[in-house]
Amino acid sequence: MSKSPKLLKLIVLSILSTVAMLLMLLDFPLPLLPSYLKVDFSDVPAIMAAFIFSPIAGVLVEGLKNGLYFLYAGAGDPVGIVANFVAGTLFVLPVAIFYHKYKTVKSVISGIVMSTMIMAIGMSILNYFLFLPAYSWIMGWENMSHGVKLSTIVVAILPFNTLKGLVVAMLFVPLFMKMKPWIEKRQLVYNT
Amino acid sequence: MSNSFIIGQYVPGSSIVHRLDPRTKITIIFFFVIIIFFANNLLSYGVLAFFALLSMFTTKIKISYILKGLKPVWFIVIFTFILHLLVTKDGEVLFSIFSFEVYSGALYKGLEISLRFTLLILMTSLLTLTTTPISITDGVESMLNPLRKIHFPVHELALMMSISLRFIPTLMQETEKISKAQASRGVDFRTGKMKERIKAVVPLLVPLFVSAFKRAEELAMAMEARGYNGGEGRTKFRELKLQRVDAFIFIFSALILVVFFFTRV
Repeated sequence: MSKSPKLLKLIVLSILSTVAMLLMLLDFPLPLLPSYLKVDFSDVPAIMAAFIFSPIAGVLVEGLKNGLYFLYAGAGDPVGIVANFVAGTLFVLPVAIFYHKYKTVKSVISGIVMSTMIMAIGMSILNYFLFLPAYSWIMGWENMSHGVKLSTIVVAILPFNTLKGLVVAMLFVPLFMKMKPWIEKRQLVYNT
Repeated sequence: MSNSFIIGQYVPGSSIVHRLDPRTKITIIFFFVIIIFFANNLLSYGVLAFFALLSMFTTKIKISYILKGLKPVWFIVIFTFILHLLVTKDGEVLFSIFSFEVYSGALYKGLEISLRFTLLILMTSLLTLTTTPISITDGVESMLNPLRKIHFPVHELALMMSISLRFIPTLMQETEKISKAQASRGVDFRTGKMKERIKAVVPLLVPLFVSAFKRAEELAMAMEARGYNGGEGRTKFRELKLQRVDAFIFIFSALILVVFFFTRV
């Protein structure tokens, strides 16, 4: 085993961020929603990091993932990158905190449902006060009216984030059940 | 997955823009992005457009290639333009289609926003087109260095970024290999219900995670064997050095900036 746990942790988090970025490139549209709202599994490696190390490690992976995406896919949309980071953070933190408290499959299921709710509601609020105004400022749509903002959120942002959370949960829960022993072994190796 | 992602957007070349120090490019583009919001008449937009087009032509990258990279944002630009035509009602009526009146103010505003947005995207994509991701990382590390005084882990973050970048092609191949291996065992990624297709990703991710951790352990061992111990006193293989051409481009950009502020109203 490596002598310096700090270096190893740093490298593991970097490589998990790469995995996350690659999963971000493999995005796919959801049925019933417009094609530009795409879902990807890039939050899964971040949750993995948050489970094995600490919730903050998950946030770091989310940040690096978006930095890599920016360098690779180019700067199409800076607001989108910030929004993706915030959404990822809101999604990773609750489930990781819940998991570290109880460490059972049940706690992960209820945690990820809670994560989905927190992300969907949090992103709705942030879109209302931050991201939609930022977009409209850059695009020169002057002040978007409250009605327009509210209907955008109710029609698109809230259902999209809820569905996205549920899709990631549908992948992550079976993955977690398969990898639980492996995750626990990693925790022993890295955190002692 | 297309091959173009393997080195990101970078196009190798030896133009002046390619040879500039990444720090010079980042600084100039940073100021350009801020300043474009101060442009308020045709002439000031003209000055900025001149600067952006001049930079674009100096890179000697094929124009068609640059425009192809802008493809994802065309939709937003055209959408914004049409939205402005429909919503803004300033100035006089220019013409009407099906009882729908287009105002001169709307046309002006729509063109202004589209131009602003296109210039923004063009300039930032010139950075990723002419600079490798690794030298952008080096540039950002060196520019953030003063933050070390307040114990911000600049070196560690830059190291993580470089490691991540280095592993993109490796892990991309790995993903492809695993998905082929699992497909040959009968995992079906493409057909079936949504739920089944999501579940089919599990046998792809399990080996991917296991091998990612294995690679990380090997790299940590290799780095320690070569005596890596943090950022202090570490020398670099790629050293950043400002050249004369950097100074020249800096002065030129500053002149453009002065001209720009004279053309505003």
